[in-house]
Amino acid sequence: MTPDPDPPARSSTPSARRGTVSMTKELEETEEPREPGPPEHDAPLPPDLATGEHDRRHRTHRPWSARRIPAALVASVILVAAAAALFDVVAVRAGRPAAAWRRHLADELATRPLDDVWVLTGAVVAAALGIWLIVLSLTPGLRHWLPLRSPAPGLRASLDRDGAADLLRDAAMRVPGVSTARVRVRRHRVKARADVRFRDPQQVKDDLTAVLDEERDQLVLARPPRIVVRVRRRTD
Amino acid sequence: MTPRTVLNRGLLALAGLVLLGGGLLILFAGLDIYRRHDLVPPVGWPLTTPHDVLLGSADRARWSSQGWWWWPAVIAALILVALLALWWLLAQLHRRHPGALPVGGTPPQEGVELRDHALSDAIAAEAGALPGVEHATVHITGRPAHPRTHVTLTLTPQGAPGAALAALWEGPLRTARRSTGSPGTAHMHTDVRLQVAHDKPHRAQ
Repeated sequence: MTPDPDPPARSSTPSARRGTVSMTKELEETEEPREPGPPEHDAPLPPDLATGEHDRRHRTHRPWSARRIPAALVASVILVAAAAALFDVVAVRAGRPAAAWRRHLADELATRPLDDVWVLTGAVVAAALGIWLIVLSLTPGLRHWLPLRSPAPGLRASLDRDGAADLLRDAAMRVPGVSTARVRVRRHRVKARADVRFRDPQQVKDDLTAVLDEERDQLVLARPPRIVVRVRRRTD
Repeated sequence: MTPRTVLNRGLLALAGLVLLGGGLLILFAGLDIYRRHDLVPPVGWPLTTPHDVLLGSADRARWSSQGWWWWPAVIAALILVALLALWWLLAQLHRRHPGALPVGGTPPQEGVELRDHALSDAIAAEAGALPGVEHATVHITGRPAHPRTHVTLTLTPQGAPGAALAALWEGPLRTARRSTGSPGTAHMHTDVRLQVAHDKPHRAQ
């Protein structure tokens, strides 16, 4: 899957709001917001500063997709339908007979009653498609990208879910006793399954949990998922 | 959100509402829900009973006998709809580039400008040399006053996302902010996508 090249939402970040004020105001504020930001997240801070910093660092919303593909599809359908109707209307005005599809369509629309099964099916499909388009327009999308804690305002980062799974799997393979590991990363939960070839499975499971927790913290995810570990003894 | 995101989502919601409304209108009449639940549709409601048709010949005759202006109006409306759909489709295909970024503020002081490709190539070269980064691609989009940087980093399997992100912010992106030095790029929005280069699972020895 290619990454969506479109930018994320910007409306809720503090610097986006500054973007609307005048240039001189921006110039004055250029250096100011960076002053109080200590590089260490865990450093002890005065309460007001701590909450401000906490707020800024954790307000990492998921980037919102531009919905280019659904928009292109809907635009193409509208374009084709409008162009076909336009050509036929113009042809009829120019004295040619109407196209077969138009006569057929007009005939069907004029004869099929509303309780006809095809009309009802079409209505159900249209309503379902409508709900789907509304859902698409209101949800963020980009479910394949996990937002990361950002080191600075104005910077937004996300990690590919497959990439996170690869890193976690490599960490799991480093645990002694693990012969194979499969990691599945979802948005709120990580499932790790490992085959144990030697050592006590319970001990391997404890080690795996510790290692995966540590590796997950290195991924700096904005919403760290829960890790579920399952081990199985290989008997062959 | 960028203007295009807002436009796309708004038009998608509009198309969805039209489809949902039309579908429900037909379903309510076709399943005879008004009569079964003793609902009275408002006067002039288009479809009320299961025996209605979507577009009867009487309706068509009534519409097309409106006068000489009817068909020109239909043609004009169709042309308008087709052109708007074409414009919406084309808006998905191209990406807006700032072209040149002003150095030192807008309007550019002394007319000094930096090509967006030069800046993105510089960021990409420096980012690709960071430890733990295998490959970096950079695009700069938006208007000159509000550019946005899109960075795609491919990490090596040994890379750590947190460290790479911090190094990117302290290294190439700081250089980029310093080298333009304009308020627009000081707040330059940056979107970083991290991927991990694929490797075969290997067993610890």
